[in-house]
Amino acid sequence: MEIFRNMRRRKMRSSLTILGIVIGVLALTTMGALSEHLNSLVDGGVKYFGSSIQVTTPAGQSTPLLPMSAQKQIAARPGVVAVYPHYSFEAKPGTNGGASFGAPDTIIAADPGELSHGDLRLSVASGTFVASGSHGQVLLGSVIAKDLGAQVGSVVQLPQRPADAKPGFVSHPFTVAGILATTQTAPDNFGYITQPDGQMLLRDSLPPALQGSVDVTTVAQSFTAYTTPGASLAQLDTMAADISSHVPGVSATKPSVTVAQFQSFSATFTEITVGAAILALVIGGLSVINTMVMTVSERVREIGLRKAIGARTGHILREYLREALAIGVIGGIVGWLLGFGLTSLINSASGVSGGLFLVTPRLTAIAIGFAAGLATVAGVLPAIRAARMDPVRALRTTG
Amino acid sequence: MATIELRNITKQYRQAGNVINALDDVSLTIDGGEFLSIVGRSGSGKTTLLDICGLLMRPTSGQVFIDGADAASLPERRRAELRGRAIGFVFQEYNLIPTLDVLGNVMLPLRYSGGDRRDGRDRAMGLLQAVGMSDRVGHRPDQLSGGQQQRVAIARSLIQRPALLLADEPTGAVDTQTAAELLDMLRGLSREDGVTVAIVTHDLDLAASTDRTVRLQDGRVVEDSAGVRVAAA
Ligand SMILES: Nc1ncnc2c1ncn2[C@@H]1O[C@H](COP(=O)(O)OP(=O)(O)O)[C@@H](O)[C@H]1O
Ligand SMILES: [Mg+2]
Repeated sequence: MEIFRNMRRRKMRSSLTILGIVIGVLALTTMGALSEHLNSLVDGGVKYFGSSIQVTTPAGQSTPLLPMSAQKQIAARPGVVAVYPHYSFEAKPGTNGGASFGAPDTIIAADPGELSHGDLRLSVASGTFVASGSHGQVLLGSVIAKDLGAQVGSVVQLPQRPADAKPGFVSHPFTVAGILATTQTAPDNFGYITQPDGQMLLRDSLPPALQGSVDVTTVAQSFTAYTTPGASLAQLDTMAADISSHVPGVSATKPSVTVAQFQSFSATFTEITVGAAILALVIGGLSVINTMVMTVSERVREIGLRKAIGARTGHILREYLREALAIGVIGGIVGWLLGFGLTSLINSASGVSGGLFLVTPRLTAIAIGFAAGLATVAGVLPAIRAARMDPVRALRTTG
Repeated sequence: MATIELRNITKQYRQAGNVINALDDVSLTIDGGEFLSIVGRSGSGKTTLLDICGLLMRPTSGQVFIDGADAASLPERRRAELRGRAIGFVFQEYNLIPTLDVLGNVMLPLRYSGGDRRDGRDRAMGLLQAVGMSDRVGHRPDQLSGGQQQRVAIARSLIQRPALLLADEPTGAVDTQTAAELLDMLRGLSREDGVTVAIVTHDLDLAASTDRTVRLQDGRVVEDSAGVRVAAA
């Protein structure tokens, strides 16, 4: 191909130009992968918290337990179609939540029926969901499964015994019933057990003095309430306010508040990516403009010759834009490959469960498309200059 | 085959406030199929004359008729099309694109005229055979001697079966022997297709071997062997 021979003609300069694009796209890919990961976490949060109402103990209450009787009262409020009690525990206590970019590895006790509510839907990659009311079964998210080295059918001890376990620390064997498909959000780090098993873990976690006196089947750590699918945030907010004011001893958080928090994160990540894109624009764009300007001045006689033998303005314009596009595409692909390699390397070297970076197909398309578009746009002015050249003057140029 | 008629052509270059009369009221008719040479001292206006005939340049005043049609009034796009389709060029040097091989260079005009690639390829191979370059089709220009490059340029100039072939000192950069060979090639090939040929040359022996010689001096035609021939007849 003539384009590539033209590039080879000035190896050093073509390499530097491509390098400019590569640096830009590398920055764009890594920063973009960081924010794609964070955004997918945020998206999951928005889906989950934007389609359910979280009911907890009111601020100031010392014991984080709610009476189970509240379940019926919440369920009786207008609009509420289902209410589930929740228990959650650190899966690996004492590890500071573990090195994780998303949620820490957590055991969630919930009725399996709850999985059919809300906008965040889970599906199993292997095995099955846990049967309602069963004992000793766990459904693991993809990341926590890797952290525990578990497969379907393996037996895992939950919670995991920390190195400095207090005397009286208890854990229980759970058989892995299934492993969830990756969601790139919080459930990847969750192990789902049944409500009775959750109550068992709750009893283990109580101070010894209370263990005999509290009937764990009468309490829940929190409730999650659902309404019919498709309800707006405003409708959910109204329901939350209604629950808070009519059910004694509970506090329902307005979903819009939680969603807004998530979205403010998301905006920050997007700004970071845009910043990287601007960096790419400046470095890559300037190097392409520089190269194309030099290329055109070097090939003045060639352009004159082409015009003499019948090339029209459009032909020359296209030839130079194609050359700029090729530079952009090569730089884009190389930059993306480097970015993909680098982020994969960091993901596996950092030991952070679930990784730091997420290179999505969308990001790939954006990075390479951006490089191609950038180079083409940067090539426009030099290409126009080439195309408009007067053939006679061009042919008489010496050199 | 094309008839070129230049009518009262004047070309002025403006440079740093000075006006240079490169061509001064030149009228000249070149008949279809003629093999003509243009001679004159350096700066006498030969290249300017050829560029105007080849629609590479517009005259300051006067008209250019190609087969009776006024080419000066055509828009640039149409002139480029006409150049590509009907006119072949051979320059003194820098005739070939360095990144294209011999075959690619010969076929280049087809890229711009949208001509049929397969037919073009056969014709290009035939022309390269005729100029004795068929064993070098895959070579780059920098792998060829000056004379070989000009042979490729001749093949390229004829690829579109032009009606008119313009050569500006095509033998200026090669030795006398090679120059004579190149001229023979040009003559032979243009005869076959009845192409009208105008060659600018310094070499009076070469000029003498053409059908007609026009001499320029300070932008004017001062001698035309056609006139002599006509007078002698
Ligand atoms: N682009 C130009 N600008 C100014 N003067 C020019 C230009 N091109 C040619 N000339 C002048 O016009 C005259 C004729 O030039 P040219 O046609 O190149 O002559 P030749 O080909 O016979 O040497 C010369 O005096 C030359 O200096
Ligand atoms: Mg000249």
